[in-house]
Amino acid sequence: MNSIELDGVTKEYGRVTALDDVSLSVGGGEYHCLLGPNGSGKSTLMRLVLSLAQPTTGTVTVPDAVVGCGFQQPNFYPGLSVRENIDVFASLTGADDWDWNQTVVDELRLSRALDRKAGDLSGGFARKLDLALAFMKKPEFMLLDEPLGALDDVSKVRFLEFVGDYAGDGNTVLVSTHQVTEFEPYIDRVTVMHQGNVVFDKPLDAIDLGRHDSLQQYYVEAILAREGVAPEEQPPVK
Amino acid sequence: MSLISLLKKEGHWSKRNVLVLVFLLVILPSFFATASVVYQEVIPRNVPVAVVAENDDVSDNELTIVEGGLTVFTEPTVVDSDEQARTMLEREQVYAVVTVPPDITDQEADATFTLTVDGSIVPFQDPSQVIESLMEFQLDQNLAADITAEREVVGGENSLPEYLFPTFLMSLLIFFAFTYVPYNLTRESAVIDRLRVESSLEAVVAAKLLFLTALMAVPIVLFHVAALYYGYAIDSLAPGAIFVLLLTFLILSAFSMTVTVITRFSAVGRFVNVVTMLGIVALSALAFPVGFFSPVRSTIARLLPTHYAMIIVRSRMMKESSLALFSDWLVGLLGLLVVIVVALKLSIVHYRRTT
Repeated sequence: MNSIELDGVTKEYGRVTALDDVSLSVGGGEYHCLLGPNGSGKSTLMRLVLSLAQPTTGTVTVPDAVVGCGFQQPNFYPGLSVRENIDVFASLTGADDWDWNQTVVDELRLSRALDRKAGDLSGGFARKLDLALAFMKKPEFMLLDEPLGALDDVSKVRFLEFVGDYAGDGNTVLVSTHQVTEFEPYIDRVTVMHQGNVVFDKPLDAIDLGRHDSLQQYYVEAILAREGVAPEEQPPVK
Repeated sequence: MSLISLLKKEGHWSKRNVLVLVFLLVILPSFFATASVVYQEVIPRNVPVAVVAENDDVSDNELTIVEGGLTVFTEPTVVDSDEQARTMLEREQVYAVVTVPPDITDQEADATFTLTVDGSIVPFQDPSQVIESLMEFQLDQNLAADITAEREVVGGENSLPEYLFPTFLMSLLIFFAFTYVPYNLTRESAVIDRLRVESSLEAVVAAKLLFLTALMAVPIVLFHVAALYYGYAIDSLAPGAIFVLLLTFLILSAFSMTVTVITRFSAVGRFVNVVTMLGIVALSALAFPVGFFSPVRSTIARLLPTHYAMIIVRSRMMKESSLALFSDWLVGLLGLLVVIVVALKLSIVHYRRTT
């Protein structure tokens, strides 16, 4: 098995159903985009894959492989410096390829902040540190939850290229976002989620945009239509 | 791999929080070590005393009469042998042994009672002199023989600061276990998801317990230096005492961590830990023998593991008593550690299942 499998997964938090009977396969070295509005269940799905939460019903099967994650809320030791965080987590995860670690730091434009206390970092640098910690161990399955948040434009472009290349090297990347435009040139597959359900799950080249100008417009209209908003009532989407 | 990495992280963290650690590990212990000299005198309320016959010539009836004569200041326990009484004295289960001579009901006889006290139980030294006089007066009134009482002190006699020295060290470890340990663990909540993915909460907690327990060597050595400086006649580095101090620290730290995890790193957990700490310090009779307190407080103290740990530590530091003398209490402390570690593990499982 070289893919993460979700089979009939439901996750409830009290009376709230975050995921409702979701079945999905993520793997095969694909760059997979999980697309959906806030509250659609993307982060819950990722937490289930990472075993940070348990499904209420259904099963989540993760292959015996290295799995990494960039969290929506950056996760690191705020009391340590960036360098110390890298040192600790490199040691913890056995990420001892320091040439690669340096590459990750450079690609994420994190070098300038190495000796700063992590808790004092700006949102952008905090995101970069979190992503660096995720990439250091070269995970075969990389989960990225809203990775572009707070990144500046230059860093975004460089990061997108970096992740594109990383996925191209045979690694599976699952990125969660509500803004697909920036990822569109790189991704292989799209799963659209809405209110805990999978709306559709298709390879990018199997999606017929029809009258829509972009994948983002296609997705937004699909969600609005699902919510009962007629096309003529929908606001324009760029 | 996991453990070494996390220990390394603790090193980084400590470097970043050196001021807090200096306060907790150097300044506070110095204060406690120095403050021990200010205590001078106390008065007991109810004194546990063992009554034992000097030889086989003493009848049960005579023992009963003596027992009744001592009720002015104690509810004595009649024991079968001098050896048993001495063991109870060394374990601080009693603070004096009254040895009953024969012929106490013989009008023609002179009978001398012996009140044996332990020189290391300093708060009881002055009261025991009063009790000696009181005992002589009371028994002379009640018995036919001409009664005298002698006070015998066994072991070396210590000063009150020496007696309180282990108490302050124990108090410091309790303070550390209920404040710094949960604070330190709570700080992990910012990175808890990544730690759970890359390692496990169990490994994080184990590394923390190991690191912080090892860190306790600093105040222990500092106390030793203070003992040398003041010329205290105690063995502040007695291995048995250090073992029990660290064992107690582990038990209390594991407990405070359990509270922290079960309350999901919240302020509620910190509050519960502080209240528990205050309760333990106030009710364990760390400083004074339980006989100095009301029966209720004595009973509560005897339910707390810190009470027994304190007696062992004090005995090892001041009297070099054999650890074997406390084997049942040591087994109890080790058993308690196992129970609390299991509780800690269950709290982690609960945390995982409810996120």
